[in-house]
Amino acid sequence: MTILQLHDVAKSFGEGSQRVDAVRGVTFAVGRGEVVALAGPSGSGKSTLLALAGALLSPTSGAITVDGKDITRYGARARTRYRRDRVGFVFQGSNMVPFLTARENLLLVGEFGGIDRSALRRRADELLEKLDLAGVRDQIATRLSGGERQRVAIARALMRDPALLLVDEPTASLNLELGIRVVDALVNEVHVRNKACIMVTHDDRMARRADRLVEIRDGQVLAG
Amino acid sequence: MLALIEIRRRKLQFGFVTGVVLLIAYLIMMVTGLGLGLNQQAGTALLNLNGDHLAYASNANLSVIRSRLADSDVSEIRSIPEVERATPLGYVAVVIEYAPETSDTAAILGVIPGSFAEPEVIEGRSIAGPNEILIDRTWTRLAGAGVGDSLALPVAFDTRTFTVVGIVDQGYFFFQPAMYVDLSAWQAIVFQGEGAQQPAASVVLLQGQQLAGRSGAGWQIVTKQDGFENIEGVRAQQSTVDALRYMGLLIGAMVIGVFFYVITLQKTALLGILKAIGASGVYLVTQGLLQVLVVSVAGAGLAVGLALLTEATVLSSDSIPIRFTWGAIATAAISVVVAGLVGVALSARQVTSIDPIIAMQQQ
Ligand SMILES: Nc1ncnc2c1ncn2[C@@H]1O[C@H](COP(=O)(O)OP(=O)(O)O)[C@@H](O)[C@H]1O
Ligand SMILES: [Mg+2]
Repeated sequence: MTILQLHDVAKSFGEGSQRVDAVRGVTFAVGRGEVVALAGPSGSGKSTLLALAGALLSPTSGAITVDGKDITRYGARARTRYRRDRVGFVFQGSNMVPFLTARENLLLVGEFGGIDRSALRRRADELLEKLDLAGVRDQIATRLSGGERQRVAIARALMRDPALLLVDEPTASLNLELGIRVVDALVNEVHVRNKACIMVTHDDRMARRADRLVEIRDGQVLAG
Repeated sequence: MLALIEIRRRKLQFGFVTGVVLLIAYLIMMVTGLGLGLNQQAGTALLNLNGDHLAYASNANLSVIRSRLADSDVSEIRSIPEVERATPLGYVAVVIEYAPETSDTAAILGVIPGSFAEPEVIEGRSIAGPNEILIDRTWTRLAGAGVGDSLALPVAFDTRTFTVVGIVDQGYFFFQPAMYVDLSAWQAIVFQGEGAQQPAASVVLLQGQQLAGRSGAGWQIVTKQDGFENIEGVRAQQSTVDALRYMGLLIGAMVIGVFFYVITLQKTALLGILKAIGASGVYLVTQGLLQVLVVSVAGAGLAVGLALLTEATVLSSDSIPIRFTWGAIATAAISVVVAGLVGVALSARQVTSIDPIIAMQQQ
């Protein structure tokens, strides 16, 4: 069953001679319980695609539907709500709130409203356990190691039980062994919880752990 | 939660701003208090007079020093139908040598004993004869004089000894401690010389409605408040103090505003991530407001404490003309909190305009 569907999506930045066509007519779908690895060289449009799927950017043309609803028609408030309730983001850089503990970084998502907080506390403890973070739950984010931080980021993305997980180079700052462990934890969560996931990576060894590989060059999909 | 946890975990940073807010609030309180204190010295005794209008000589330009009214003026003023009660009041500044080689100026006010211009006595009794005098507490503290003591006042080219029969709590008249004598004693002090016309009073204190603006050939009537504001120096003093106060508030608003603007800039990346994962602009601005509220309320609260402490210690002596009232303290405290909120309102735009896409552009 399809969760995310991109249909002939294009995105360009700038005007005239400055114009960059970052994504050019991309069509593909991600189903429930599926991890799609999005691979391609630097500058090929991977992050832009992820931002489009997460309503951080609006496409220049084309349609993006999530659970059958076209998110490109959403206004500013609906987009904020969509990101809050339907999407779990894991960004490339450090995306922790530095002065919060690991556990508080998870509970943070309850701050934005629209959810029962006591259920969130249970969920946070459960995810910390599952991602092997129970020992550092009360550690301030800046004291966490790179691998711990990435796993907290994944746990946070899962907190509100989103339909769609969007992950940008989750292992860029990790060594191979740690990277594989983080990706495996992610893939496992997606399978168990029946979510759709796009994971951007330029590392074949990570891409192989996904269910499917989508390769992208110069803003276009090569094979799917 | 986010706002408060940040304050708790970044104590140094927020403690620093709280300290700045404290100092600014305290400065504003001191300046306001100075304004009050100076005003009190300018003329609480005038403001305390039991009447609502004053009649001055028309050529005096509303100065009690220059105002001299003749008998005919006083009776003319008395005969105005709207005047309910009227009583003459004399004023003259005298230098009193209260210890060898030590002297100070006092405001001698001549009143008719038993008239409504006579102040309430807090110790001793009222004046009953031409050689008796009431002195203000401020003089008691300055010169150490009390009931039963004698005071030598210059009369013509000589001095006349007055007996202190009572203490009053009227404060200053024209920057000098107030003293009250029989009107005839005042007339003796301001004696113009044989053959010259003797003044009946400096001004006439009046009770009655709608008297302000009335005038006759040699006199004019204004409200007591107008009379006070026309005391030489009061207006200039008041506008200087007000300018300092507004300056303090402006600086306060700017410092607090700039501080939050800077920490907003510092946190742009973080705020972008929060927006990307579903925080609304309203939520983030609310958190900022909460932080400013905590910091400015804490700073203002500590300043109130510091002001009270100052009042209890440094200002218990009379030498520094700073007076705190609850009104002044509260005004300063509230202004600082409001200034802080105005400051944060300036960074609100900054926060709402952060594009969450920056969450993806960080490495
Ligand atoms: N905001 C932007 N403005 C202009 N050009 C952009 C912007 N974001 C991305 N690009 C350009 O779009 C292309 C694709 O970028 P990106 O999606 O970040 O690639 P990848 O993540 O695959 O490295 C690049 O040429 C990049 O320079
Ligand atoms: Mg990228």
